[in-house]
Amino acid sequence: MRFKIYRFDPDRHTKPEWQDYELRLEASDRMVLDALERLRAQDDSIAFRRSCREGVCGSDAMNINGRNALACITRLAGLSEPVTLAPLPSFPVIRDLIVDMTQFFAHYHAIKPYVMNDEPPPERERLQSPEERERLNGLYECILCACCTSFCPPSWWHPGKFLGPAALLQAQRFIVDSRDRGASQRLEFLDDVYKLYRCRTIMNCAEVCPKGLNPAQAIERIKIELLRRSA
Amino acid sequence: MRIFAGQRAFVLQRISALVLLACGTAIALRLAIGPQVTFAQWRTWVAQPLAASVLLLVAGALFIHAWVGIRDVVLDYVRPLALRLTVMTILAAGLSVLAAWTGFIVVTHAL
Amino acid sequence: MASIGHRISGVVLVSLLPFAVLALQRSLDGDDAFSSLVQKLQSPSGRVVLAVVAWAAAHHLFAGIRHLLMDVGAGSSLAAGRASAYAALVAAALVGAAALLA
Repeated sequence: MRFKIYRFDPDRHTKPEWQDYELRLEASDRMVLDALERLRAQDDSIAFRRSCREGVCGSDAMNINGRNALACITRLAGLSEPVTLAPLPSFPVIRDLIVDMTQFFAHYHAIKPYVMNDEPPPERERLQSPEERERLNGLYECILCACCTSFCPPSWWHPGKFLGPAALLQAQRFIVDSRDRGASQRLEFLDDVYKLYRCRTIMNCAEVCPKGLNPAQAIERIKIELLRRSA
Repeated sequence: MRIFAGQRAFVLQRISALVLLACGTAIALRLAIGPQVTFAQWRTWVAQPLAASVLLLVAGALFIHAWVGIRDVVLDYVRPLALRLTVMTILAAGLSVLAAWTGFIVVTHAL
Repeated sequence: MASIGHRISGVVLVSLLPFAVLALQRSLDGDDAFSSLVQKLQSPSGRVVLAVVAWAAAHHLFAGIRHLLMDVGAGSSLAAGRASAYAALVAAALVGAAALLA
């Protein structure tokens, strides 16, 4: 199978370039990550992040044939050749397929990703009914891989100011958490020209989420909640 | 520009959209499907205060909707601050002039 | 794809606004002005312009309805989003074609 990989080493001050590779696939090579590991055996200068190899850590998010995906759960079969591997679009590239996630995590921290509750803590846990817990489904599963945010056009146009689908999905996760008491603060924080409202519901985020989540829908729900509270 | 911040712009966009959806579709259908409108019919229709008011409402909704929309486009693609302010000012002035002109046309013919 | 169409059709419509207001003015100026305006719109080039306006307005309208539906909670799922996008594209193209041929 033929591969085309984005290579960039800032220490050598060279411009980024595409490098071609050829790999004879074995039966055990099922996912793109398998191929990458074997390509690294051929050329140990190829740099990429990876960890769990089962689609739960989010480390190996990258652009595969023009679409963001996790390398460890993207099947090789059916990919058109040469399989083009590029870093997540619009994020600063540290080396080859490794990108700088600082801005991404800054947006995440900005939405205060923790339960805010000043009431005296109960003896054991803060309880939730099954229905209340149900509301977190489709929101808590986010692995912060950044496939969505790096594929989002408004995030490309306004990287520092638009929070992006991942952070906004997480904002919604805390807004609807019955144990959280900070909903109005969270919503007020989001009500400005850039943080939330740059979203044009293009839905690229939902298209590429490897966990099948729908940030666009979460964002719509935030807008609806803001409307409800202002009417 | 707090006036059009976040939610306000969103709401104005949606409300003007609904007005245009209702009235605009009605007008478009009448023109496309109904019998050919004559000058006399058109002229008398505009002269009625109620019709003129509806026309002004539609025009108002149209210009608000256009402004919020085009402002979004400028915010997304025109990044340098000086250029952005210039473009926004020109567009705002242009749309205001067109809106005033439309109002003038309708009001003078309704009187 | 429907989303960039929504944006493009919007920009097209805004750039045609000055001409629309001018046409409004002319249509009320008098019988002759009205007739000459109608004639111009029914000429071959006039019909092309009308078809473009019809396509842009229809596309913008259908994509806009799609957004409004999402605002009330319907159609935000990925499948619904994809389906409504295609529906909007096709419907708008049909309107444009109809305007051109009618």
